Amino acid sequence: MKVRRQQKIQRTTKKQGKNGTPVEVAPKPELGSALIPKERYVSPDYMAQEWEHMWSKVWLMACRDEDLPEPGDHYVTEIRNESILLVRQKDNSVKAFYNVCHHRGNRLVHSFEKPQEAATSFKCKYHDWEYAINGSFMDIPDLETFPQGAPPCGGLTELPCDSWGSFVWYSLNQDVEPLMDYLGIIPEHLDPYHFERMVLTKTLTVEWDCNWKASVDAFNESYHVQGIHKQLLYYLDDLDIQIDCYEKHNRYLIAFGVLSPRVVAPGEIPPAIKVVMKDAGMDPASYEGSVHDIRHAVQKFKRENGPSQGKDYSALNDDQLTDDYHYMIFPNITMNVHADDLMLFRQRPHPEDPNKMLFDYYMYELPDEEFDAEEYRRPLHKQYKYGEVSLGLVINQDAYNLPFVQKGMQSEGYEGLWIGDQELRIRHFHDTLEKYLDSGAVTKK
Amino acid sequence: MDLGLRDKNVLITGSTAGIGRRIANLFAAEGANVAICSRTEESVKLAVKEMSLMAEGRIIGAPCNIKDKEDYEKWVADMAEELGGVDVFIPNVSAGGGNDSERNWWKNFEVDVLGTVRGVEAVLPFMQETGGAITMIGTTAAVETFMEPQPYNAMKASLITYAKQLSQAHGDTGVRVNVVSPGPIYFDGGAWDMIKISNEKFFGITEKTHALGRLGTPEEVANCVVFLSSQAASWVTGVNLCVDGGYTKRVQL
Repeated sequence: MKVRRQQKIQRTTKKQGKNGTPVEVAPKPELGSALIPKERYVSPDYMAQEWEHMWSKVWLMACRDEDLPEPGDHYVTEIRNESILLVRQKDNSVKAFYNVCHHRGNRLVHSFEKPQEAATSFKCKYHDWEYAINGSFMDIPDLETFPQGAPPCGGLTELPCDSWGSFVWYSLNQDVEPLMDYLGIIPEHLDPYHFERMVLTKTLTVEWDCNWKASVDAFNESYHVQGIHKQLLYYLDDLDIQIDCYEKHNRYLIAFGVLSPRVVAPGEIPPAIKVVMKDAGMDPASYEGSVHDIRHAVQKFKRENGPSQGKDYSALNDDQLTDDYHYMIFPNITMNVHADDLMLFRQRPHPEDPNKMLFDYYMYELPDEEFDAEEYRRPLHKQYKYGEVSLGLVINQDAYNLPFVQKGMQSEGYEGLWIGDQELRIRHFHDTLEKYLDSGAVTKK
Repeated sequence: MDLGLRDKNVLITGSTAGIGRRIANLFAAEGANVAICSRTEESVKLAVKEMSLMAEGRIIGAPCNIKDKEDYEKWVADMAEELGGVDVFIPNVSAGGGNDSERNWWKNFEVDVLGTVRGVEAVLPFMQETGGAITMIGTTAAVETFMEPQPYNAMKASLITYAKQLSQAHGDTGVRVNVVSPGPIYFDGGAWDMIKISNEKFFGITEKTHALGRLGTPEEVANCVVFLSSQAASWVTGVNLCVDGGYTKRVQL
């Protein structure tokens, strides 16, 4: 491998308490080394198969529990051409409905990705058909002029809906397995981070000119750090990474606050590592140790000083105080999980074009003792085209490159993805996707 | 041109890696006896071993924390005793750049300024009868705006003033005092290695800013330090020699 030094990252071998995030290495799945056909990224037919056998079968992330604090509070999210209405109920549960009036097909609620405060009912803007917050018909004006009566369904079409990890999830599959079964190891792994304590500080959507899977892939391997993100070679170890594949989902653990073995240790602390120290409350100028020991020094400092900064790290192991515990929840959630923040990407397919996608970016941050809940305002969601907004240097670098990947994939001269061990998560992701598509094919027969 | 360094005794601080090491290597190659130091015994031992393989003169060294006055003075005394005097002194250690807190000012003062002053005061008695050369390491960041207002730039600037006045005060004893101020220098593990990898664009702009179109090498800095410290520069004292390939743009009248 292309390295300038040898390096072994010291990792915690024990989880933090009995409910801590498991740290053991998962058995490496046997996924072969076959080429991944490029048609999966560019073919409208494959896109249709994905919709029929995967998107409409899985659990999907909608919004946060805190977006719907009171009964009647509601939120609309979209997947492909479907619009989903999520409504907080009087019993504190959340119901999901297709966001469509049964009369003439008008979208019932026209807003999108914006928490809406307590409705006592939902009235269609076209002919005033009115639905209660539990979805049932409340009023159909001039009902006596419908000789066939009201639609027999009794109200909005409901979908499976549940909550985990401070997030509300829904599925387009009426027969979907329970959310907790679907998520598998995820709650056990991520509950210690207490996402419910974090607050949303940024939310936006950018339309990217690439297939949604090209985006998922870009965040599922660190092999591209030496190519696209060279500056990160002075921030993380892109080679000694623990990759764990589970049933549907996967993760990798990346040490932050260290140098890559691909670079020689500089005489001074690299600027990005200084930021890690400053964020923890340390003064880089007062640090006398080796650059290689900074990660441990930061872990120790945060362990000792977290409580006085109003941060409860008690459920997290030392590595989690510095490192990226990076999770991919199938099919489209990328989570950069850190003790102090969660950078979450939701990747959605474009409604018609396999060469486009919607990249949803969310930043959640753990408040410190200076946070004022009264003053906090949830940021408003905005949607952009590529190039209209910066997502920070690292994601900008990916976003700049992805359209070229998508263009390249459409070339006659390209057959498919030639995947190495450092990209195992990509292979695992495709394996899961193919299982959905295969099972769909069996059902059809 | 004979540099006349054979059998001269040279003390260099912070000389197991980077530019300091290249300076030490070159003195050794010129036949001088060289004494080196760094904070860890391990790195001193390794550097002494490596340098001795190619040196004709003696190569010695001992660990020394130059922030510790007594430790530093002891190192100078020990090295001088072992070599039998001091002819050349290169105070090379630096705390480097950084502007994270007020602590950076203290560090650059302690390491760059006091690390030079204490060394100079410790070696001057050895030069009173035989004369000698002191060559300090400055930076072009002291003479032109560079990066941001930071203690490294300002503290290095103070050395240029200090060197000039020393050269006046001790000229009558045959002691010459000069400064070599390098511009951006590229080497493995150096600050510019990091910038080249992490910010290629800025690196490219910096290359083009040089009249000679590239960054300097540690050897090119060492050449100037060794020259100014040698008999070949016997009529040069009190100067600040910018070794920067035309990176700085001022007219030095």
